[in-house]
Amino acid sequence: MDLEFTEAEREFRAEARDWLAANAPGPLPSMDTRDGFEAHREWEHRLAEARYSVVSWPVEYGGRAATRIEWLIFEEEYWAAGAPGRVSQNGIFLLAPVLFTYGTAAQRERFLRRMARADDIWAQAWSEPEAGSDLASLTARAEPAPGGWRLYGRKTWSSRAAYADWGFGLFRSHDQPRHKGLTYFMFSLDEVEIRPIPQLDGEPGFAELYFDGVFVPDDQVLGTPGEGWRIAMATTSSERGLTLRSPGRFMATADRLVRLARELDPDPALADQIARAWLDAEAYRLHTYRAVAEGELGSATSMGKVFWSELDIRLHTLALQLLGERGVVAGPWLDGYLFSLAGPIYAGTNEIQRTIVAERVLGLPR
Amino acid sequence: MDFAFTDDQLALATTVRKVLAEHCPPSSLRASAQQTGARLPGWSQLAEVGFFGLLVPESSEGLGLGLVDAILALEETGRAALPGPVVETAAIAPFLLTPECLARLAAGDLRVSVRLGGQVYAPDADAADLLIIEHRGALHTISSELARLTPQPGVDPVRRLFSVAVEGAGTVPLAAVAPPAVRVATVAVAAQLIGLARHLLETSVAYARGRTQFGAPIGSFQAVKHLLADVAIAVDFAAPLVYAAAVALSPPFKLLPAKETELDRAVSAAKAAAGEAAAQAARVALQVHGAVGYTDELDLRYWLARVWSLDPAYGSAALHRSRLRTAILGSPELRRWP
Repeated sequence: MDLEFTEAEREFRAEARDWLAANAPGPLPSMDTRDGFEAHREWEHRLAEARYSVVSWPVEYGGRAATRIEWLIFEEEYWAAGAPGRVSQNGIFLLAPVLFTYGTAAQRERFLRRMARADDIWAQAWSEPEAGSDLASLTARAEPAPGGWRLYGRKTWSSRAAYADWGFGLFRSHDQPRHKGLTYFMFSLDEVEIRPIPQLDGEPGFAELYFDGVFVPDDQVLGTPGEGWRIAMATTSSERGLTLRSPGRFMATADRLVRLARELDPDPALADQIARAWLDAEAYRLHTYRAVAEGELGSATSMGKVFWSELDIRLHTLALQLLGERGVVAGPWLDGYLFSLAGPIYAGTNEIQRTIVAERVLGLPR
Repeated sequence: MDFAFTDDQLALATTVRKVLAEHCPPSSLRASAQQTGARLPGWSQLAEVGFFGLLVPESSEGLGLGLVDAILALEETGRAALPGPVVETAAIAPFLLTPECLARLAAGDLRVSVRLGGQVYAPDADAADLLIIEHRGALHTISSELARLTPQPGVDPVRRLFSVAVEGAGTVPLAAVAPPAVRVATVAVAAQLIGLARHLLETSVAYARGRTQFGAPIGSFQAVKHLLADVAIAVDFAAPLVYAAAVALSPPFKLLPAKETELDRAVSAAKAAAGEAAAQAARVALQVHGAVGYTDELDLRYWLARVWSLDPAYGSAALHRSRLRTAILGSPELRRWP
């Protein structure tokens, strides 16, 4: 057991810190506006040119073949620098891991480099109006067509889909119940009818997707037709866990909260909760280092998802309490607060996660 | 950065777990409490595997290990709710006693209780050969036979607390100072609390799987599942703070020469988080077991009582939270470690 970073890890950190200090832009407009989306895409281009957009990927696809620890270090530095949110996260963090595992060589060639540069920005298409937590009840379908498939139905609450280039999601391709007979598709959003949905902040962070016979060629099926559930579960496991929300994000928020508290000198009761939240971000960080060292990323993801999503709400709630009336006028803390409120809902609600922990980690009966 | 235990550290914990499963079963806790059996079940067998010499220097016939090497073994003593002054003997005394005493300690022939600054009572003093007492800021030892011990019956019938009156005769001053030993003790108790919490969770899960109401195991009900899932999460996120504090307190003391306040912060974080997780595990264990859990007939009560008894030991969760508030909001430059 060694809680010191190696020389190589320290150098990696220093290099990332220097580059981010010199290159990270100030606050960009919301990525859920047209201009903001493109500004975030520009930032992704710059990250990619410096090979910082996908540090853990192989070099040939634009990464640095960074270790998991180095990736965690990069994330710590990235968020500490106040760098923008990742508009490409659906692709690089959620689709890419399964593309590396289940994709064909041709698919990796075609999609990964463009994804790393944000030439293509991806949206996910899981939920349907009647299939949220119960994803396996989905009814959007895929019908065989010469050379591929035609997609029919509706997907909704699809983040980034208002402006994204590509989508990925599950469709029922075989007449089988629930988890069976589902296929994982990757499709261009050009021919999909899109209805943007404004979120709580008024910007269209969601969209509804209408499929009316959109053609998708066979080479855009990920994995084997009918085996989509297994692949999707690999994606959602990434989504719940580390790849989507690494500790660095919450450490940076916690540091900002403590700085705010020093300025505003809160009463002891509030100060106690702030200290506790800062330490919880430390706990998440140490928990993650342990999970990496023990190679236990899989089983830990549901526990982690509950922990970080509820921590994020506490961090932002405390900031708003510190700020009082100034907390509810437009600003980064209010933006962060509204965003944090989505955490216990997306990527599988926390109620679903607790049930998963109870059944799969503790072994309680279904 | 490699936050994984070594094979040796894991093997030691497995050994201690096996020894205690055999020689300190739940029935022995009841026997110890009711004075119908050994007061200190498992102790001689633990001594045989070198447990009491883990932190004793090699020059005093100990193993000269660091707290991080022993932390999982200490956790196992919590999991078994091992009776007696375990932390005081294995984790405090090695830092305070003279070399001659330490050789006896390492061999398992010397049991030690303490009443340091901030403590009102000496735990398990009836089972100790030697007491270490802090008086007016200085440490002294005294043979327990020469001290007047008054039992203070309370929540834990196994971890007994005693008022100590010392007439003056027989005390021997010690050169050592308390803070380094208290830090180690605090983290050692935090590890015990993690072990206690793990046992409480496992026991509660087993009960929820077997107990049937409304024609179904109560563990199939979502309300019960979520209570237990929250305990699992609390324990899983508290344990790394305990292990990190153990690293900080072990040679080669990589946290130093950073400020001692940062060391104290790691210690307080460990005790507060472990104490709160264990309190939650105890509260949920009682709720899941229901009325039968509220009886003296179930062994569960020994684990509940130990959690309640250890909360104030070496600073309650509330006290450590208060210290953390000062450390985190009061220090001009807040640094992370590692």
